[in-house]
Amino acid sequence: MKGTPISRWLLGSGLGVVLLGVGGVLSASAADPFHEVAEKANRKLVKIFGAGGFSRLNNFGTGIIVSPEGHILTVASQLLDTPDLVVHLYDGQRLRAQVLVIEPELDAALLKIRVEGKRPDEPAGLELDYFDIEAAAQRPRAEVGDWVLALSNTFEIALRDEPLSLQRGVVMAYTKMAGRRGIFEFPYTGEVYIVDAITNNPGAAGGALLDRKGNLLGIIGRELRNTLSDTWMNYAIPVQAAVEIKVREPVKDKEGRVSEQERTVHISLVEFVKKGVRGEYKPVSRPQTVVGEGGWHGIIFVPNVLERTPAYVEDVVPGSPAAKAGLRPDDLISFVDGEPIVSIKAFQDWIRKNTRPGMTIRLEVRRGEALQTVELTLASPPPRPQPPRPTPAPPKAADAKTETPAPKK
Amino acid sequence: MTRLAVCTKLKRGKAQWIGWAAIALTGGICGAIGLSSPNSWATEVDQIVLQAQAERIAVIRKVAPAVVAVCRQGGQGVGSGVLISPEGYALTNFHVVQPTGPILQAGLPDGVLYDAVVVGIDRVGDVALIKLLPKQEGKPFPYVPMGDSDKVRIGDWSLAMGNPFSLALDFTPTVTYGIVSGTNRYQPPEGRGLLEYTDCIQIETSINPGNSGGPLFNMQGELIGINGRGSFEKRGRVNSGVGYAISINQIKNFLGHLHAGLDVDHATLGAIVQTAGDDAPLSQMVIGQILEESDAYRRGLRPGDQLVSFAGRVITSTNQYKNILGIFPKEWRVPIVVRRNNERMEMLVRLMGSLPQSKEGGQVKQPESGKPPVPVPVPAKEPKSMPASPAAQFYKPKAGYANWYFNELERDKLLTAFRQHGDFAALAGNWTLQGTYQRGEQKGPFRCDLLVQGEEPLVKMVLNASYELAPLKTSDPALLREPIGSGGLMLALYHYQRLLTIGPKGFEGECSHAGHEPCYPFPLDGSVPASLAELRVDCAVLRTKHGATECKWYFNRKDNRLLAFEVYVTRDQDPCEVYCHDYKAVDGRWLPHRLEVRHGDRRYAVISIEQYQFHKDKP
Repeated sequence: MKGTPISRWLLGSGLGVVLLGVGGVLSASAADPFHEVAEKANRKLVKIFGAGGFSRLNNFGTGIIVSPEGHILTVASQLLDTPDLVVHLYDGQRLRAQVLVIEPELDAALLKIRVEGKRPDEPAGLELDYFDIEAAAQRPRAEVGDWVLALSNTFEIALRDEPLSLQRGVVMAYTKMAGRRGIFEFPYTGEVYIVDAITNNPGAAGGALLDRKGNLLGIIGRELRNTLSDTWMNYAIPVQAAVEIKVREPVKDKEGRVSEQERTVHISLVEFVKKGVRGEYKPVSRPQTVVGEGGWHGIIFVPNVLERTPAYVEDVVPGSPAAKAGLRPDDLISFVDGEPIVSIKAFQDWIRKNTRPGMTIRLEVRRGEALQTVELTLASPPPRPQPPRPTPAPPKAADAKTETPAPKK
Repeated sequence: MTRLAVCTKLKRGKAQWIGWAAIALTGGICGAIGLSSPNSWATEVDQIVLQAQAERIAVIRKVAPAVVAVCRQGGQGVGSGVLISPEGYALTNFHVVQPTGPILQAGLPDGVLYDAVVVGIDRVGDVALIKLLPKQEGKPFPYVPMGDSDKVRIGDWSLAMGNPFSLALDFTPTVTYGIVSGTNRYQPPEGRGLLEYTDCIQIETSINPGNSGGPLFNMQGELIGINGRGSFEKRGRVNSGVGYAISINQIKNFLGHLHAGLDVDHATLGAIVQTAGDDAPLSQMVIGQILEESDAYRRGLRPGDQLVSFAGRVITSTNQYKNILGIFPKEWRVPIVVRRNNERMEMLVRLMGSLPQSKEGGQVKQPESGKPPVPVPVPAKEPKSMPASPAAQFYKPKAGYANWYFNELERDKLLTAFRQHGDFAALAGNWTLQGTYQRGEQKGPFRCDLLVQGEEPLVKMVLNASYELAPLKTSDPALLREPIGSGGLMLALYHYQRLLTIGPKGFEGECSHAGHEPCYPFPLDGSVPASLAELRVDCAVLRTKHGATECKWYFNRKDNRLLAFEVYVTRDQDPCEVYCHDYKAVDGRWLPHRLEVRHGDRRYAVISIEQYQFHKDKP
């Protein structure tokens, strides 16, 4: 339905009155524009199937086609951590795909559909419908109160040629991201759309947030909890997403001495896609600030929901230094090497600043009514959920200028 | 995926908290409705918006009185429902009435709690039909019309109504408003093959525990689905933006069965349908294994055949196949198209039951060995005895049925309507049918004597050769199927006369209403139809058993005339099918004067009857 006025919820200040500005759409007899928007957008999205399928890690997700040659933008989840990545197109075609490049700072990954007998840098001859992300980023962003549509493979409801699930909502906020995933802080800290619909369900990550006309607004994110309120967030990373990152790089001076220098790097989603498609994008590398750096102890604390959540042990990782030291659930860590510990955060900060693997620390632990002294030898952290690495390119593609993944620390 | 009956385990505190939030929200909506009052806001709002809002409110007002709060006896809410007829028939979920037992109560938005009884259940499809009893005899209930859920599209607006969290103590329904997220969705069964949602409607319209069984409306106020499930995961058993409604078109296929008090079963093809080459870019659906006792096998379906379409729907994925298969009751005949070696074949297949076979002509159910019996609403053995409900008089338990009372009711209604075409009770005696037959190029005289007055009934037939059958004495299936190639025409006519002259009392084994089924009478001139689907006539079915023989009788739902009947000498072989054409009055009673006899996939003969003779005495 062309010419429908842009619709939005107007939130009356004092009255709490909710008015709909959807022009005739609600009228019982009027044709429904959402159907066409969904149908068109559905052709520009794919279902992704990859790694996972255990311990609440989904092996399914959604992706946005960003070039007629089959480049796909999605979130940088563990899903991609497999050489056997498969995508289903809107028409039911089942095709293989490979990861070209990943940027954890944007939580973004660029994939490409693999066509038999074609190198990744060759034209694939697919001529798919796609979202022009550069054009999308030049449009003004959606305002708070604007209606939005979400299209994704939430809960893996759709397979093959079944259309993705459509939801509708309102932009509640456009704000800086503050999320966590389990105990790890989320790498992306740029701006996000927060919507009132429950868009971020399993499998929805990588789906499209659209305006009423089907223009791409952003990429639906993962299932994350808000660091501040511990509630589930329904967010999408906008197509205009851009972040500035301070990276420390080793620099050689004239005499060949190496020193570290800090440099600010500006990255954006558009640039990521543009360069990524040409095989020219180089991910930013910086040590990630994650809770749990320093030596590894293996203590699992109670949910850190307060400003100063006391450092109660919820559990210990079997076989970890904490397990070896005999720490138990419900122990309260009170002192480390004589320093009083007031919160989980304080303990983690102390560990990060003062320890490294191999060091032994002395903990004063309150267990029941008594204080116990426990010696704990820190170890190297076990592998933790890593952003996925690009799939090894097929042998023929060795000459292609695909980027290598960010070096692991 | 979880069902949405009210969770009695839900912590009271939490429920209350949610309750308060909802009440606060209701307040907000009331504020919006209050726009009609003079208000500086109102003047700024586009007229079209106000009009749309007014239309929406009008639709809600129109349908809300028919929304049901399903309760246990005593008034404790367990789910929702919706009235679909002025007599008080209402749809809900099976999982809602499972805990209530057959006698229950139901609240309407008029604030009145009505007594109600379970009429029919569909355990696989998670549907139940209940009937509310009016407080005054004959007083009509408000009800809603059923829409066409095949016309629902992604993005359509929808209204869900019901009683989430048993919030409304006066049974005023809670309304939620949202869009359709997907159509033709498949959600696998929740356990033991039950509660499978096929071809369902996915909605973002908020549904919560207690919304189960409640209606999903389109914006014209037509019923398009019954809300029943949602996808939940880590966020708890409350709306997560993904709910499912059973499509009303699926329910329509079962509605005749439900009205007839049946414990209905869904269908299987009797064959495994596989995706060929799961790695291939585009998939094909291919028959894997097939049961040799299935009708599909007898119709010629073989492993390796490519399934092109099923009941008119093109099949390219497993979900699509499960979707279309799931909307049909057991024993329905549907046309399927297969491709074998580039040859396209259309066949009419009788579907098998999906639940383990446990019932044979209404006999006692044997629970699966090793498994607890599947729960069906049986009288709940309440420690505290409830006051006798007036609904109890509308409940008759019988193995294999949800409520035998309604089967008898519907059966008698059907037979009464059938007798409008002629009452043959006075003509119980020997009959002679005379005329001609045509079999291929062969023609000749036809005569059938139905001699039922002697010690032992006897059927004599002249059709090319002379035959004789003692229908009750003979047990050899080969003899019962004579004339050879007909599948049992003598037996069929014997049962036909019995139905006309004696009625239900003549079928000591069983005489029950078997719900609604399609029937496919072939053109009498022998021409090949362009598609089998265009032959379809919707029928009400009567199932009988007399001696060892089962029959199914197909009455055209438009005029209650007998369109066809099938006689099964044995259950695992093709029946003798008789299609009744060319009805003419004989002494004021209507009788068919042309019979097409079919067996397997072939026409056996067309019989033109020139004369029916009713003998008071032996001929």
